[in-house]
Amino acid sequence: MAQIQAEIQATPLDPVVAPEDSSRRFHLPGWLTLLLRNPKARIGLFVLGTMVVLAIIAPFIANAESATTFNILTTRQAPSWHHLFGTTDQGSDVWAGVVFGARRSLLTGFLAAVLATALAATLGITAAYMGGLVDDVISLITAVVFVIPAIPLLIDITAYIHNRGMLTMILVVGGLLWAFEARILRGQALTLKNRDFVHAAKVSGESNRRIVFGELMPNMISRIAAAFVLVFYIAILVEAGLEFLGLGDSGKSSWGVSLYWATVNSSVLQGEWWSFLFPGLAIGLTVLALTLILAGIDEVSNPRLRGIPKKRTSRSRRSAKA
Amino acid sequence: MRWFLRRLAFYVFAIWLALTITFLIPQLMPGDPIGGLLQHLTPAQIQANPGIIETYEKIFGGKGQSVWAAYWQYLGRAVHLNFGLSTSNYPTPVNEVIARTLPYSIVLVGVSFVFAFILGTTIGMIAAWRRGGTFDTIFVPIFMALGAFPAYFTALLIVYFLGLKLGWFPIQHAYGLDTTPGLNWPFISSAVDHGILPGLVIVLAFAGGWVLNMRTVMINTISEDYVSMAQAKGLKDRRVMTRYAARNAILPPLNGFAPQFATAVGGVIFVELVFSYPGAGYTLQQAALGKDLPLTQALLLVFAICPIIAMFLTDIANLFLDPRIRQS
Repeated sequence: MAQIQAEIQATPLDPVVAPEDSSRRFHLPGWLTLLLRNPKARIGLFVLGTMVVLAIIAPFIANAESATTFNILTTRQAPSWHHLFGTTDQGSDVWAGVVFGARRSLLTGFLAAVLATALAATLGITAAYMGGLVDDVISLITAVVFVIPAIPLLIDITAYIHNRGMLTMILVVGGLLWAFEARILRGQALTLKNRDFVHAAKVSGESNRRIVFGELMPNMISRIAAAFVLVFYIAILVEAGLEFLGLGDSGKSSWGVSLYWATVNSSVLQGEWWSFLFPGLAIGLTVLALTLILAGIDEVSNPRLRGIPKKRTSRSRRSAKA
Repeated sequence: MRWFLRRLAFYVFAIWLALTITFLIPQLMPGDPIGGLLQHLTPAQIQANPGIIETYEKIFGGKGQSVWAAYWQYLGRAVHLNFGLSTSNYPTPVNEVIARTLPYSIVLVGVSFVFAFILGTTIGMIAAWRRGGTFDTIFVPIFMALGAFPAYFTALLIVYFLGLKLGWFPIQHAYGLDTTPGLNWPFISSAVDHGILPGLVIVLAFAGGWVLNMRTVMINTISEDYVSMAQAKGLKDRRVMTRYAARNAILPPLNGFAPQFATAVGGVIFVELVFSYPGAGYTLQQAALGKDLPLTQALLLVFAICPIIAMFLTDIANLFLDPRIRQS
């Protein structure tokens, strides 16, 4: 009897706990469902997802060696069934270059953006919240990016560096872009800083660190995500740009390096459109996907920007009469 | 007036910051810049110029000199536009190399940038006015896509199709080799001809940003009362769009001109490289590859000062366009 009673008591508990648990584990988080409902963000996430999948399965769909090796038997071939995207002047396979290049380009851009966002969120929000001298010092450092254009600055810095591996690229690109991102996040944190919940936290004796990381940052998570996407695509563009100028590691395969070799070997002037078209398309599509995701985030948070015609009919009817 | 003085203080600060950063980079970088520099000169060149090591030590803060002394010296040299000798164009002084290449970039970027601004804001204006219409759904995605592709990729495509396949315009250099630079008609027409394709790339790459910017601001302006008021008065649709809505929406994009210019100055390096256009950007890339440090240092300073000048011009334009600033 007691056993049955225990079972009765136990059963209502289970269904209550279970769905909560499963919703946390198996359902998409709310922000992602919102984003997926936005057509722009959906296309963007799909294209970006495709690129990431291609990068991950690269060893199964292309030969790593043919991406970088010199092969005199297969130079300057137009796209064919054998070489899907054709071959370069050096005889390396453009398709292999693109899918293996995706690994390096995406990872460098992603990690640079992670580094920049971590620094920007911490320092930008701290500057906005603390004000005074802390704000002045951080704002002075971030003013650098407002004064000196990033690309010439990066070119100047890379001119001094001898080791241009992936880690150096991440540090240099992320180390510069954080300042740009911190300016955005600082401005947004300033609008939050005088809200009631911040005052409440301050009055209840929470430490500054707790207010920045525990109160302000969670409330800015959508802004931080938007800034991250922005910096992610800028990082991809900047990194590919530096490599295109020959200031990267020209021995490795990445999208920018492919474009560098295409110009150095003047493939364009010889009419070999495939050697620059495909790596360039890869960069462009990835950046386009990220801008679409960014536009999606903006539209989800600012309904005014959605492309729904508002009172358009009455206005055009009026103008037709006039 | 107070506003103007505050802006002026900002410019002084910005220029000081640019000078300080260009000074600090060689100091902070690992390795010995002078040793690296001398590797790029032949022993004969070094012997022919006994003072050269001392000259470079002065620029890059050599041994036995405090950072402060080197800093003051650097500021003094910058004021006199004395940046030493370029190692990749040895023995031409750095400022001569810059004086030769910078005008091409300024004219190219300046002209095409104004075109990009006019084109972008006009398209953004119409797209916002007919939001959700055919114009909006066709042009806005096109320009968004063009902005997403790196400028050098657009440049390569244009070189391939318009230059190589159709052969409409020259695709290399800034002027025909049979002309002499100067104020003569063959040179100017040749320079314009050579500038069209790189200019087109810059217009296409940067118009997109203004399309989106103008469209966003304009959408907010359209819902203002004075726009409804103008429509209620029965004014023509086009007049309401240009005189009432767009006129009030143009200020934020115009204020974005200077920061955009800073990005464009960076972007133009790629365009110049693709077209082998002998501007400051192409020179910077060559100098960085050749580790010509005096030249990269001075060019970085030039690239930093250009947007500051653009910001200054924007402020003056604002003074004329925004009565609120004039009154304060």
